[in-house]
Amino acid sequence: MDIARLKSSFARIAMHGDEVPLHFYADLFLKHPETRQMFPVSMRAQRAHLVEALAHIVTSVEDADSLTAFLRDLGRDHRKFGTLAGHYDAVGESLLTTFAYFCGDAWDAELAADWKAAYGLVASVMAGAAQEDEQHHPAYWRGTVVAHERRAFDVSVLTVRTEPRFEYLPGQSVAIESPARPRLWRYYSMANAPRADGSVDFHVRLIDGGAVSMALTTGTAVGAELRLGPPIGALRLDTASGRDILMVAGSTGLAPLKAMLEQLTGLRRPPEVHLFFGARTAEGLYDLPSLEKLTGEHPWLTLVPVVSTGRSPRRTGALLDVVSGYRNWSAHDAYIAGPTEMVQDCATLLTAAGTPVAQIHVEDFGWSEP
Amino acid sequence: MTSDAWYDEQDRMSPDQLQTVTFPLTRWGRHGYEEEPVRAFIAEVHTEMVRLINERASLWQEVQRLRRRILGTSNGNDGVLFGKDDAHIHAVRILSSAQRTADRYVADAQAYSGRLTEEARVRRDEIMGQAQQHADMLLEEARTRARAAAVAAMDHDGLPPQTDQERRAIHAELAYLRTFSEVYRQHLKIYTEDVLRTIEDWETKERAASRDSSLGGQHRPGIA
Repeated sequence: MDIARLKSSFARIAMHGDEVPLHFYADLFLKHPETRQMFPVSMRAQRAHLVEALAHIVTSVEDADSLTAFLRDLGRDHRKFGTLAGHYDAVGESLLTTFAYFCGDAWDAELAADWKAAYGLVASVMAGAAQEDEQHHPAYWRGTVVAHERRAFDVSVLTVRTEPRFEYLPGQSVAIESPARPRLWRYYSMANAPRADGSVDFHVRLIDGGAVSMALTTGTAVGAELRLGPPIGALRLDTASGRDILMVAGSTGLAPLKAMLEQLTGLRRPPEVHLFFGARTAEGLYDLPSLEKLTGEHPWLTLVPVVSTGRSPRRTGALLDVVSGYRNWSAHDAYIAGPTEMVQDCATLLTAAGTPVAQIHVEDFGWSEP
Repeated sequence: MTSDAWYDEQDRMSPDQLQTVTFPLTRWGRHGYEEEPVRAFIAEVHTEMVRLINERASLWQEVQRLRRRILGTSNGNDGVLFGKDDAHIHAVRILSSAQRTADRYVADAQAYSGRLTEEARVRRDEIMGQAQQHADMLLEEARTRARAAAVAAMDHDGLPPQTDQERRAIHAELAYLRTFSEVYRQHLKIYTEDVLRTIEDWETKERAASRDSSLGGQHRPGIA
């Protein structure tokens, strides 16, 4: 296999931009119309994902270990879409047709054979991981909403019971699909440590124009059915470090941190924990009663709610100013979750003040504050 | 390995280069272009370059098709105008453009719904702010009037201050509270009715608007 040539032909193909995935999906749907229903109406985000994944595979082709891990995750994650072993051949065929089309006269039998072999490897790793996963887990979990609390104008807390029981680690997240928005999967963090009854809390924030968050906050009543993908995400509590803990939560970024807090309550000797919970308005501190109850029960936990605008009996000001003005955190493990910008700024701030990067754990929620 | 004559990316500029290009900034006190317009222009050039590359690819495919046709005819094979492959490419193009249309519809619907929730959020913050201000005002007014009533009650009381101070204080307190609660209740009633009316109004509008937006979101391409 001539890897250099695969890479250079991919660079040439990639020059055609969005036309490439557009051509690929049209070819696939024409040859296998039954695959169309696995995708949402709008394919814009899907096309970007495909190109991203292909580019990632091509650039990391020399790093076999990390590429294999990436492909295995990808294979497992595709089970929830209803991907079957037979689909891999169909995708391979359309991918080769598409590459041939955009390569023009640089496409020859040799290059075709190389791409075929390369795709064969990718597909076998993905399908292999999916098949292994089948032995232990369903393709997706069926969830039923057992409680829906509208905590603020734009924040809901949903409690979901799953079938079968959903196993995960505090800090992880999961892709959720609502029947009101078929084929649109969005990631949410589990907001509690696993419970005896197996129910799971999700903190959902209504995002302006967000199709799924809108459906979940305003259109999902008790009894509604949801689908959950496999648990993912690398955010985990480091219980062995022996260091005290700083947690910084922006809005519903609280969810994974709360799950980890609950995990800490189960430890024999939990470290000292400071939780800074920030929101724009007092109403945005949607989970205070429950956090205050935790604080009352556990002397090792200190809660600092922060409101950035408006009047409030709470601390007011920018969340990060309050965090950095409180004390020096260089000897702490830091866990940060919330809007992209806040998470980045907070990590930068802590690093600048001496917290080693290895002690900073983040979960980026993708959206930004309105 | 054959030569990559069709588009040799080693020697030619690729659209990717446009996306990553940077220029050194001018030093203070010198003339230089403003960054934003330059970036916007580069983005435009990038889009145009991708479009040209794609147009070229499809022209190349067309040349290939015609070449096949001529060769095919001379070989005495099939002299049809459109081969099976050509029909497929044609179908791919139609489906691609249908998908683009569907994407645009969904994006429009989403942008519209985004604007609606944003407006609702702003409007809600306004109403809450006004309500807070109004409540403060009512409270202050009720306090002032109650204070006046209490003072009046003390003045009307003919007893000398030394003999029954406690009773007078309670009288005053009572008068204060009574007046305070009356004034406040009345104001609050009027105000609550007003806010409820606003909210009802707003809900009717929102319901009508969300009906429109869900129609937009339902639009499907004919190929699904």
